[in-house]
Amino acid sequence: MSTTVKVQPDLKFVKELQAVGGDSLKKCYQCATCSVVCPLSPSDSPYPRKEMVWAQWGLKDRLVNDIDIWLCHNCGTCSTLCPRGAKPGDLLAALRNMAYRNLAPLPIIGKLMSSSAGLLPLAAVPALIYGIIWIIMAGKLGSFLPTFEWDEAAHGWKAVSDGMVVFGGLFPGDYTIDPIFILVFLFMLWGFFAGVRNMLKAFEAQPKTFIVGRKKEPCFIACLIDTFKYEILQHTQFNECNDEESDELDQKRAGGHKMLMYAFICLMVVTGVVASGHWGGWFLTAIGIESLGHIVSAIGHTPMPLYHPIKLLAFVGAGLGVYGLIALTKRRVNLDQEKQSSSWYDWYLLTLIWTIFLTGLGAFVFRILGVALLAYPLYYVHLIGVFMLLAYLPWSKLGHLVYRTVALSYAKKIGRIPMGDAK
Amino acid sequence: MAEKLGVYICGGCDIGANLDVDALAKFCADGKHSSAVAVAKSNPVLCSPEGKAMIEADIKENGLDGVVCCACSPRAKWDVFKFGDKVQVERVSLREHCVWSYQEDPKFPGQMEIIAKDYCNMGMTKLINSRIPAPELPTAFKTVLVIGGGFTGMKAALNAAALGYSVILVEKQDTLGGKAATMYKSFPLGAPYSEREQEIGIEQVIKDVQANDKIKVITGATLESLAGAPAQYKATIAGQEYEVGACVMATGWVPGKGEFLKPLGYGSIKNVVTAAEFEAMAKKGGIKTADGKTPTSVAFIVDTSLLMKGVSFGACGEACEGPEEMPCKEGEAAEEGECESYVYPDKESAKHLAYSSELTSLVALKQANYVRELAPDALAYIIYDHMMVPGINEKYYKAAQDDPGIMLTKGTVASVSEAGSAVVINAKNTLLGENVAISADLVVVPTAIVPTTAADPTMNFVYRQGPAFPDLELFDGFADSNYICFPYETRRTGVYAAGCVRQPMGLGLAAEDAAGAALKAIQCIESANRGVSVHPRSGDLSFPEFNFTRCTQCKRCTEECPFGALDDDAKGTPLPNPTRCRRCGTCMGACPERVISFANYGISQMGQAIKEVKVPDTLDKGGPRIIVLCCENDAYPALDMAAMRGKSWSPYVRFLPVRCLGSVNAIWVADAMSKGIDGVMMLGCKFGDDYQCHFVKGSELCNRRKENIAESLGRLGVEPERVEQFEVSIDMYDKVPGLIDEFVRNITTNFGPNPFKGY
Repeated sequence: MSTTVKVQPDLKFVKELQAVGGDSLKKCYQCATCSVVCPLSPSDSPYPRKEMVWAQWGLKDRLVNDIDIWLCHNCGTCSTLCPRGAKPGDLLAALRNMAYRNLAPLPIIGKLMSSSAGLLPLAAVPALIYGIIWIIMAGKLGSFLPTFEWDEAAHGWKAVSDGMVVFGGLFPGDYTIDPIFILVFLFMLWGFFAGVRNMLKAFEAQPKTFIVGRKKEPCFIACLIDTFKYEILQHTQFNECNDEESDELDQKRAGGHKMLMYAFICLMVVTGVVASGHWGGWFLTAIGIESLGHIVSAIGHTPMPLYHPIKLLAFVGAGLGVYGLIALTKRRVNLDQEKQSSSWYDWYLLTLIWTIFLTGLGAFVFRILGVALLAYPLYYVHLIGVFMLLAYLPWSKLGHLVYRTVALSYAKKIGRIPMGDAK
Repeated sequence: MAEKLGVYICGGCDIGANLDVDALAKFCADGKHSSAVAVAKSNPVLCSPEGKAMIEADIKENGLDGVVCCACSPRAKWDVFKFGDKVQVERVSLREHCVWSYQEDPKFPGQMEIIAKDYCNMGMTKLINSRIPAPELPTAFKTVLVIGGGFTGMKAALNAAALGYSVILVEKQDTLGGKAATMYKSFPLGAPYSEREQEIGIEQVIKDVQANDKIKVITGATLESLAGAPAQYKATIAGQEYEVGACVMATGWVPGKGEFLKPLGYGSIKNVVTAAEFEAMAKKGGIKTADGKTPTSVAFIVDTSLLMKGVSFGACGEACEGPEEMPCKEGEAAEEGECESYVYPDKESAKHLAYSSELTSLVALKQANYVRELAPDALAYIIYDHMMVPGINEKYYKAAQDDPGIMLTKGTVASVSEAGSAVVINAKNTLLGENVAISADLVVVPTAIVPTTAADPTMNFVYRQGPAFPDLELFDGFADSNYICFPYETRRTGVYAAGCVRQPMGLGLAAEDAAGAALKAIQCIESANRGVSVHPRSGDLSFPEFNFTRCTQCKRCTEECPFGALDDDAKGTPLPNPTRCRRCGTCMGACPERVISFANYGISQMGQAIKEVKVPDTLDKGGPRIIVLCCENDAYPALDMAAMRGKSWSPYVRFLPVRCLGSVNAIWVADAMSKGIDGVMMLGCKFGDDYQCHFVKGSELCNRRKENIAESLGRLGVEPERVEQFEVSIDMYDKVPGLIDEFVRNITTNFGPNPFKGY
């Protein structure tokens, strides 16, 4: 016999949920078709049926602490088969959106990130920073669209007419890129740290389940490694999301997501090599190991020749990214709006990543072609995009790369999902 | 008596292929009834225009007054085989009862011809012993009396008036409007059925009634008595007598008593109110708690399981036993001293909450919308066991569900308790997955719809069988006799129930009811004045005729008539009221002196028909013979369907349709037994508290009488098992052949020949 739970419905919360993508949650009449058809839902108190009734009753405490929203990979089967058009898949997506909004500190960012109205102020921050830098540098170099040649003597770029387009000339990495992005990165880490702490606190508050026949609970690190190995690198849960009736676009979804993720890994490696080459070389030189310092510096020296292995890796990353983006965008555009809809969070992230990839590629192409008029503005937009992606990561849909990883690991730890690639 | 018969044998539908139709025609012409048979012919397709023209020519040429059509079931081609009101028609079902259902018995092959001959003889005999009924035509009062000036009553009055009938509308209260006038709004009454709620517009209906010069409104009065019979009623209202043709009873409902709601805290917790009280609150314009504050949450309890503890829905309980004595008439009581005064028992119970469940669901949804409208910041919770919103009202449920401020859960309410100024509802088995405690400022519990007839005779009939409708215990007081087949119909011809007095319903259905009952009242008036039956034998001209010289005043007919058609005089001699009568013949079946018959359906007529069955002297000379008396409402159609679907049965049975098993007189069984018939099967409708009998009591009475018959047979040395009654519903076509075969097998193997055989 279960104990009696006091129910404190919260109308405001219901309305908030409806606003962030759960608009049809009230239609649910609890037939549980969703939980039955879900390829991932566990048999013990399965989702998303219970989330639907919690949402209808405005049971905020339950929903914001619910781990199951992170187990869902949003294949949309529940919404497709829902006889009432209640879109349970959308509700779980909306709950995740609420988590992005509320988990990390600085609720102002969460609020700005939750609707199109916040886009302008959010973009204004990097736009102003790099706008001002651009103006100052233009004054210093005598042109808004300067070209450069390498000045061996000064060991730096010198502005000349008819030179090359060099982004590092206009926005010197050491002073305008790296320090800012290191700060942004630290800010992001702080956001995630606080967000994950809140999340784990919420999970801890949930009643424990006792699982018959379960061996010793694995440690969190082991779970985290397991999650990396299966759910992240191989997309085991995500692949499960498809059944034999899924259409082609749905099947490509997990693949597209995987490609995009690999693209980010490639680009992360590229960035890492460039950064460590540059600053490692500087560091080695500074502590007196000059010869090694020069070699390391050379590895990370930009712009790189096109045959440079790191440059090639960057191309691979760009290719994978565009492929993934096309697959994900195509599916989202073709979604049956009656069954599954896309929220601001979905479009914000897709658009931002498209922007970053296209401006990055455009800046590269026009740099090679020497079209300064296009290359610099594209690079400027690229900087804004990357800034937005990184700085607001804990409040954006991409925050799932941390939150979902932690939640899946935690779910493995408490036995909500099994270890390894078992279903 | 038909004296010049035309007998026609059809050769169509496999009949000609299996029987020598010319030989059969010759058999009829030259047989024992030859003196009455003027023409006997066969025809390849009797129902063809040529066949019908042939019969019509014969009628003209030979002056026939009776036609025996030996073709298909009387349920087929009835519109073809009719030849005006001067020529009686008897249908012999050769197709269904002989050819299609024929089963060859290797012991006695070739029975088909014997069957056909038996049926032809039976058909001729029935017609020879039949007369054309000549009813008296009463002068009908064409006024419709509507009791109850609520929504249903007013709508009924307007409907009857629109069709040109004058109407007397009686309302107990001083003003018209009834319950609808006390409601704030209604749930949707028209497309798109998903609006929040809807204005009822009762003021306009009241205005329409008051402005209609065909409607005479009497308020502040009740129907004190209703004497006489349909088309000739004398109604006493406020001390004055009015001439009335038929009545619509729209006396509506009263809210159920609070005592049944105690388990939900009603009466002990101040912020627990009934739906009716909440409605009044909304009507006054404000939803307030006992402290006069606007609530922040209102919980509606739809689940009544806590109230239904210990309530049994099994057999009818006390109702099955029935009253020992018929209620006494005023004046008579003092003389006989048997009963001091007539007491009408209150039939209200917690069951009325269950019966009202559909309205409880709809009203909870409606009132949850009131909360959203009148206290927009408040939440409305609904805890239901079953959300009963059949049909189009599903859209209303969906619409309420879409409102974020209306929260619904399935659940079983375990307790309701007070916590400060709030009320806490504990519920089990909820959709939320666990037992929950919901706190609300105001809790609304259901209001039961209790029909006015539960506690009051209402119509105050001056009938021998008493002032009220009989057996309303079966329906917990709802004035309904057979709601599935015959809505509006009551156990008293001429009185038609509409609205919540017969079934809990919303205004949409009530409006339909009002139209239906008004049309029934008009049908009653317009049938009575032509001397025909209203229902269910609509248009039947026949009526029971009494041979009073032999009547012994045993009162069986007057007591057993399911419709109270017979009054009696001081000595107990029955006083027939033909316009109350439904022509079922239950009185004919009841009469031990056999003094009651119809012109075209009589005791001796049917007895003669039974005797037409040729019974072989011994079982070895041609097998047994079984008579099947079958109800023509359900059992007979079931047999037709069975034959149509290729089922077959023993060739030793002979069917005789009867109007109702209630009309079966014991003498028929005696006739059959004395003739050497081995068994009598009676196929009738289901009886008991969920009866299916078209005449309510017929099959039940037959079953009771059968026991007497069996007893008498026992005294004569005939096994009582030879007479058996079976309950057959119209959809049992696949089971009826098995029942018949099993009965025949049982008689022949276990009992052998009728001991009277051969005498």
